[in-house]
Amino acid sequence: MFSNFDFGVIPLSLPFIWQGLLYSLKLTATAMTGGIILGTLLALARLSGGVVLGTISTFYVNTLRSIPLLMVILWFFFLIPIFTGSPMGAEKSAMITFTLFEAAFYAEIMRAGIQSVSRGQINAGYAIGMTYWQTMGHVILPQAFRNMLPVLLTQTIILFQDTSLVYAIGAKDLLKAAEITGKNYNRPVEMYIFSAVVYFAICFSLSMLVKHLNKRIAIIR
Amino acid sequence: MIEINKVSKWYGSFQVLTDCTTQIAKGEVVVVCGPSGSGKSTLIKCVNGLEPIQQGNIAVNGTAINDPKTDLPKLRARVGMVFQHFELFPHMSIIKNLSIGQVKVLGRSEDEAHAKGMKLLERVGLKAHANKYPGEMSGGQQQRVAIARALSMDPICMLFDEPTSALDPEMINEVLDVMVELAHEGMTMMVVTHEMGFARKVANRVVFMDQGKIVEDAAKEEFFGQPRSERAQQFLSKILHH
Ligand SMILES: Nc1ncnc2c1ncn2[C@@H]1O[C@H](COP(=O)(O)OP(=O)(O)OP(=O)(O)O)[C@@H](O)[C@H]1O
Ligand SMILES: [Mg+2]
Repeated sequence: MFSNFDFGVIPLSLPFIWQGLLYSLKLTATAMTGGIILGTLLALARLSGGVVLGTISTFYVNTLRSIPLLMVILWFFFLIPIFTGSPMGAEKSAMITFTLFEAAFYAEIMRAGIQSVSRGQINAGYAIGMTYWQTMGHVILPQAFRNMLPVLLTQTIILFQDTSLVYAIGAKDLLKAAEITGKNYNRPVEMYIFSAVVYFAICFSLSMLVKHLNKRIAIIR
Repeated sequence: MIEINKVSKWYGSFQVLTDCTTQIAKGEVVVVCGPSGSGKSTLIKCVNGLEPIQQGNIAVNGTAINDPKTDLPKLRARVGMVFQHFELFPHMSIIKNLSIGQVKVLGRSEDEAHAKGMKLLERVGLKAHANKYPGEMSGGQQQRVAIARALSMDPICMLFDEPTSALDPEMINEVLDVMVELAHEGMTMMVVTHEMGFARKVANRVVFMDQGKIVEDAAKEEFFGQPRSERAQQFLSKILHH
């Protein structure tokens, strides 16, 4: 059956596929960085004990975690032009959507991370005269981040896989690039297989890294 | 130096502190003791505003802790605190633990903070451990570092909350020795502890707490000679025969 396949299409399509992969990686990196920063702020707001901030943060996190990502991607892409009057490119729209969406998930991870640091550490920071932000920045968040690193990375692997959904709004990611070249060379199956292998290779190496980190953290503790 | 005046505090509807009043003069060492749950930790945390109070007032060096206008971080920077579980920052080396407050809070240069940190490490006998992490040290060593960290901020007084109760018996003395030395140098100290040997050696006064109230506040000689309250007598006989 494989005799009908012609994988010779792969080298030909590599430059285009590479562009797609670059976009997928860029989208992942942006959504991860922005998502962790925004997520951490949401987690702090939720843990602050303030009624207004806490409610807003909880509402944001719970809402986004209850809506399918694909719907958020589509809504954002089609709704933004209605408000701003001009369409935003699919690539840019996806970056913003993913950052806002992933923030809700990173927020829950960071909340668990912050709660994993003992209350005494906050007091220790305050006791040497640190302000709230200094205590968070120098004492609590570095420890929360370290404790949660494997979970944050696992979430990032999921995020990387989910970036293939931008295909729905026509952003040229790895999957879209594979589809386009597959059509051009009339070898769609080969190209879908190839893109699957790339997704697999990246996710598998990352999950190996998570395993390694988990072991190291177990040693530190 | 520390004035605690008619302080009451509630956790929800549960009253932890009732009408607590005592003063600690400059250079004085006051030991606070009492049964578990009597509010000792709560009281000492109120002194540097880690816990808010609902009634009464507390002043440190003339500055009211519970005045909303008070710059609490600034005041806390001058009040050293040592915790039962050390609370060193586990993700920082020992020397970083000693310099971070100096740099971020007092605005000293890295070099200056490092030099001061090393001097204090030498003083508590741990100079060789400067680049280790807290997790690599024994409890007694960690607590000495914690005292050094508090001293790195040049405190005007020191608060200790059961500094030796989480330690193995053979490590208690290395920590108490540092504290005794501090006391002899004239540091103003409020110490929650059940180490009556320490109290006999350096305390000026002993405060005995029970169920959120200061039941006894007496000069050391008086307290160990013949405590007035029955609760304090019972408590003393229990821990002295332990
Ligand atoms: N955050 C809190 N919320 C509610 N109750 C609290 C809180 N912290 C302490 N308590 C209660 O307040 C009382 C006094 O606690 P505190 O820790 O001050 O006692 P303690 O004298 O230091 O006891 P120990 O010798 O066990 O350290 C206890 O009954 C405790 O259960
Ligand atoms: Mg206590």
